[in-house]
Amino acid sequence: MTMHAPPATGSPSTIVADYFGQAIDELESWKAKFSDDLAAARARGPVTTDTLDALVAPYALSTFDALDLPVYGSGFIAALNSLADASSHLAWWQGADRARLVLAAQSVSKEAIDYSELEWYRVPHQTGEAHVAGPYVDYLCSDEYTITIASPIFLDREFVGVAGLDLLIDQVERDLTPRLAPHGSDISIVNGVGRVLLSTSPHRETGDSIRGAELASLTRTACPGMALEVVSG
Amino acid sequence: MGSITKPTRCSPLLTSIGENETMSARSPAHRQGRPARLLSAVFQPIGDEGRASLVERRIADAIRGGVLHAGEKLPSEQDLAQAFGVAPATVREALMSLRSRKLVVTRRGRGGGSFVADSADPMAFTTEALLATTRVSLRDAATHYLAITRACVELAARRADPSEVELIRARVHRAHGGDLRMWRRIVDDAVIELAALSQSARLTREQMRLQAELSPFFALIDQDEAEQRRRLEAMDSILNAVAEADASRAGNLVADAVAHDVTWLIDHRAELEAQ
Repeated sequence: MTMHAPPATGSPSTIVADYFGQAIDELESWKAKFSDDLAAARARGPVTTDTLDALVAPYALSTFDALDLPVYGSGFIAALNSLADASSHLAWWQGADRARLVLAAQSVSKEAIDYSELEWYRVPHQTGEAHVAGPYVDYLCSDEYTITIASPIFLDREFVGVAGLDLLIDQVERDLTPRLAPHGSDISIVNGVGRVLLSTSPHRETGDSIRGAELASLTRTACPGMALEVVSG
Repeated sequence: MGSITKPTRCSPLLTSIGENETMSARSPAHRQGRPARLLSAVFQPIGDEGRASLVERRIADAIRGGVLHAGEKLPSEQDLAQAFGVAPATVREALMSLRSRKLVVTRRGRGGGSFVADSADPMAFTTEALLATTRVSLRDAATHYLAITRACVELAARRADPSEVELIRARVHRAHGGDLRMWRRIVDDAVIELAALSQSARLTREQMRLQAELSPFFALIDQDEAEQRRRLEAMDSILNAVAEADASRAGNLVADAVAHDVTWLIDHRAELEAQ
């Protein structure tokens, strides 16, 4: 049945950590180079959305093919009020044709998009570390049920934005379920608020929450380096 | 969270004045009364409307719905062409039609460009649309809106974390007391965020579409400050029920709120007609 699934190595929490860890590693690697580019651009003068798009494009586009992951979207989201010509900006490419995201609000009415409270921006900003955000319905970019992996960028301690990539849950389920299935039919990945990312159990649906006493009664294993847990039961 | 109401979505109730595409887009199979409904849906004409008309309708809808406001400068023809993914000549043609409809004015010289006409008052457009919409059609729009919103909110009550609900509440409270346009934008965003807490992408997309369609009508209601306060209170009760994971109470509160809105609109329509 799972002929094409890679061999399941290690424990479920390792499988999950390795899977999303690739994305974090990729972001960390382009972040380093991109930070230098951005610092150089800032030294030349105020950075505009066009300048930023041009700087981000090569890194964002290379992310699609660099990983053994079904990357749906990739790019950089500027810190609010950090650009010369807009108070917010998503330098983002997504979809099968890897098209640049053009939000009407950004391009036509020039309205500020306040993403300060969205998990993929808020958590990396506050913790200073990469974060696996979601699953959530991404009504801003993909309009799909999504996981966003985001990593903050600081220049001289100043927060300038987050580098990120999107994975659709639909694709993640295809990848991870066959790898987790050999470990049991009651394994679920849950996020920091107890939301099920996916499960090998027919009784647990993606998007449902496991909370309180029920969550406490299950065997839980943290996935190193991210706010995800593998629970069985 | 700003403009989640991706403002380029079409708004059928508003465009129903004088531009009845949905009627003319019926497939031949439908007209002949053949019963294979799903099959005929597949072969619905995609529409032979020109690209310029599509661009024109997008901009006209945005002006009538108040997404683009009176006096606002439109992006340059080049920028519009890029945003819409069409040739500059197509944009020029669309702007020409918009000028003849007096929705857009063009000024020459320095600081020139295309602007939304000063006379473009979204409330006037919506009032006109309300008068042109039958009661049965308004009720049906409200029924559709309720079905989707209720399903979203009930699922959100089962699935949302209270902390997620509180983020929405805080923002709505911050917006209350501000100007009407800002208030409506924040409320629309809040409704969509609440819908997204259902964790259903399909339902959330449908909510976005309906919110874009009906928001101008809600804005008509919210011109009255007492109505704005009532909406804030209704929102608070719904958020409470969602945070307390009480799906049926949340659903019933949504039903009450939608019933109030549609009754207000029907009463208002009757008053307008009586004048």
